[in-house]
Amino acid sequence: MLASPDVDQERRSQWLRGVLDMCVLAMVSSGESYGYRLVQAMEQAGLGPIKGGTLYPVLLRLESTGLVATDWRHGPSGPARKYYRITGAGQAALRQAMLDWQAFSSDVTAILRNGNAILQKGAEGQST
Amino acid sequence: MRRLGVVTDMTLREMLRRRGVLILLLALPLAFYAVRRNDSGEAIRALFLGLSWAISAAALFSASAGRAVEPRLRLSGYRSHHLYLGRLAALLVLGTGIGLPLLALVALDPAQSKVRAGGVALAMLLCVTVAAPFGLLIAAIVPRELEGTLVLLVIVGIQMVVDPAGSAAKVMPFWSSREIATYAVDHTGSGYLDRGLVHGVAFTVGLAVLVAVLSTVRLRTRSHMRFAPGR
Amino acid sequence: MTINDGWLRDLNVELRRRGVPSGTADHVVAEAAVHLRDSGEPPMAAFGPAAAYAAVVSDSVGAAYQRARRPPPGPVRLRARDIGKRYRRHVVLDGVDLTVHAGQVAAVIGANGCGKSTFLRICAGLISPDSGTVQIDGTVGYCPQDGGTIDFLRPEEHFVLVGGGHDWSRERSRATGRAAAATLDWDASAPVLSRHLSGGTRQKLNLVMAGLGEPDVLLLDEPYQGFDRGTYVDFWQQVWRWRDNGRAVVVVTHMLNQLDLVDVVLDLTDASGGRR
Repeated sequence: MLASPDVDQERRSQWLRGVLDMCVLAMVSSGESYGYRLVQAMEQAGLGPIKGGTLYPVLLRLESTGLVATDWRHGPSGPARKYYRITGAGQAALRQAMLDWQAFSSDVTAILRNGNAILQKGAEGQST
Repeated sequence: MRRLGVVTDMTLREMLRRRGVLILLLALPLAFYAVRRNDSGEAIRALFLGLSWAISAAALFSASAGRAVEPRLRLSGYRSHHLYLGRLAALLVLGTGIGLPLLALVALDPAQSKVRAGGVALAMLLCVTVAAPFGLLIAAIVPRELEGTLVLLVIVGIQMVVDPAGSAAKVMPFWSSREIATYAVDHTGSGYLDRGLVHGVAFTVGLAVLVAVLSTVRLRTRSHMRFAPGR
Repeated sequence: MTINDGWLRDLNVELRRRGVPSGTADHVVAEAAVHLRDSGEPPMAAFGPAAAYAAVVSDSVGAAYQRARRPPPGPVRLRARDIGKRYRRHVVLDGVDLTVHAGQVAAVIGANGCGKSTFLRICAGLISPDSGTVQIDGTVGYCPQDGGTIDFLRPEEHFVLVGGGHDWSRERSRATGRAAAATLDWDASAPVLSRHLSGGTRQKLNLVMAGLGEPDVLLLDEPYQGFDRGTYVDFWQQVWRWRDNGRAVVVVTHMLNQLDLVDVVLDLTDASGGRR
């Protein structure tokens, strides 16, 4: 599924900034991977092209907070690559993030759908 | 002693790499000599003056070139006497290197066959030993090369023009070589030799002492600095 | 491939400059290299400028925290007290104080002409102030903004000259100088007269001369004039190395982007160094 081209890029990148670390964590939770493959996977999943300069600092932070573990390995082809896999702490953080995001995003969806109604209801509630 | 050797070595290298200085050192005395060659006495005196002038100029340029570095060399451990004695030694070596061929020239020149070679040699030595600290002194007093060269020109010019018998002449730094030239060329008694020798030695020592004092003052550890005993 | 190599080299030095530990820096560079190979993208498209990427990485790694865990500074090596200097009626310095310990870097900043160079030369003992004292515990190395070299001598001969002050043999002076020059990415063994060196290379010579003999206090007056970007970074790396080796370093600079990395800042914009 390709990203829809007419979505506002500015807003999109702001959203992405908020969720990128958790998306990356989720991607390695199913199995270990390395940087460039993650970039490709995220693009395929619809998040659009992610620059290396954006991804690797996120991976570094995940590593320094202990949510992923790494090691260098020679893959099936070519040079040694740094492989990332999720840790126990990472799994726990991912589960929590999933719950938090579901709650947050459903709240946002509700407001976007019924925002004016919620406001009016609130106003009526006050006036009576 | 090693420190002195290093300073002398580097000063010499620096001077020998300056084509202009080398040409000056050889060409000036030769030109002066060649111009007056028919008159043996004048030729010899002109040679001496040219040599003195060239060595003084070399000393001036050498001192100017090293001026910026000397404070830093002090920081790295040299005392002031290493620096000015090293430079003097280099100039003496240079002067000797120039003087020997010039001496040979005079000794072999048929026009100078009646000249006392020993006197010529001594006079040349005094030229060098007086000119070197003289050039350094000018550099110490007049910080810029151009002004220093002009001062040198004035002094040498006066030296050329002044009446050698008058009292003003004896105050000039290079008078000693003129006197000894008379001894060498005209075969006079040893009076000229003695006077020249005394004048030359006195000026050598006096100028060297002045240079030493001025250098030491300039490169002194300033009064606002306090050095702890260190590690 | 050369564009990549240049960018990767820049990344390497920028990471180290920001205090990223050496092993981590190597990994970051290697990973970026592999990514560039895999993606086939040019580095500026994939990562942006090396310096910017290095900055983001160093934040992620928490390099600032690493810096804070450096050993505490050692004894006082330079203490300038109440330095005053005026030229004619123009007050250049007025009651300036500076204390620098072993293992510290001090930056002296301020607008042009406000007396930074004068202050440094007073600390080096090259000129006298009108008032105040400078206390130095140990040896001093000074690097001027320009000049300070001998036109008709070669770089190695400068090393011998400076090393001779420490009573070193010529070979030791030459070898030490060459090694120091190599850290600034300069091959100093070439028999070139210093007057034929470019301005930036001549400043490298000045810097090597200042540091030869491992002085306890290094006074550097904006020595990076004419340095290209890579050498500028190399210079600061050398400053941090000196700091890690327990030297006290004072750098006059008008480039303010280093201020978060130094230990002491002396702002001479008003002649009193902010004291009054």
